[in-house]
Amino acid sequence: MIRGAGLVDVELGPPVDTFAGAGGEEKARQFGTYGYPIRARKP
Amino acid sequence: MADILQIVDVDKLREEVQSKYREVAEKPEGDYHFHTGRPQAIRLGYDRTVLDQLPEEACKAFAGVANPFHWDKPKPGERVVDLGSGGGTDSFFAALCVGKKGRVVGVDMTPAMLDRSRQLAQQLGFDNAEFREGLIEDAPVEDGWADVVISNGVFNLCPDKLGVYRQVARILRPGGRMMVADICVEKPIPESAMHDIDLWTG
Repeated sequence: MIRGAGLVDVELGPPVDTFAGAGGEEKARQFGTYGYPIRARKP
Repeated sequence: MADILQIVDVDKLREEVQSKYREVAEKPEGDYHFHTGRPQAIRLGYDRTVLDQLPEEACKAFAGVANPFHWDKPKPGERVVDLGSGGGTDSFFAALCVGKKGRVVGVDMTPAMLDRSRQLAQQLGFDNAEFREGLIEDAPVEDGWADVVISNGVFNLCPDKLGVYRQVARILRPGGRMMVADICVEKPIPESAMHDIDLWTG
């Protein structure tokens, strides 16, 4: 999708268990939800 | 699967998102489904040499989900756009990185968040940061203006994700960088759950 928007060199960083210990943890676990840094470049 | 834009009531979703983040702006120390504040930024690995320069008030309404500055930070003199700038923590972080010769434009649709970030920019003397009201799907920033586009935990709240990434491409100058953080799911979300506005906002 990101490439489809015209960006290149798309990279996903390491996952972070961002909801651990928060109220949303249960729903996050249900769908395997993690936070990620994402980078790309406009050619 | 049906087009997500036909499944989700976009206007209702925006209202719910605004309501949730108005609450965060007005009561940042409240109990939410996500972590907030400086402890969350530290947990996500934000560079302490920059983060520690921000006063507590500038970090209180932070609700990020990962670290958009994981690989790199904006450089002195660069122009940065923060899509969904919320309480302004990432914008202020970027403003410290770009310095007086750089510029940061935060875009947010929630008036309470804009009030908070504008007030903080004035109080803290961030003359190089401004905050504009608007949707990130139609960001009020001219074509090719930015060296860097940042965002944190916002794109997931927009059903038209391709439209958002097209905005990023429009705003960036050739060679410009997108540095964002967001949540991704490992398991497929059933169509029935996509109708559930509560799931979008937590």
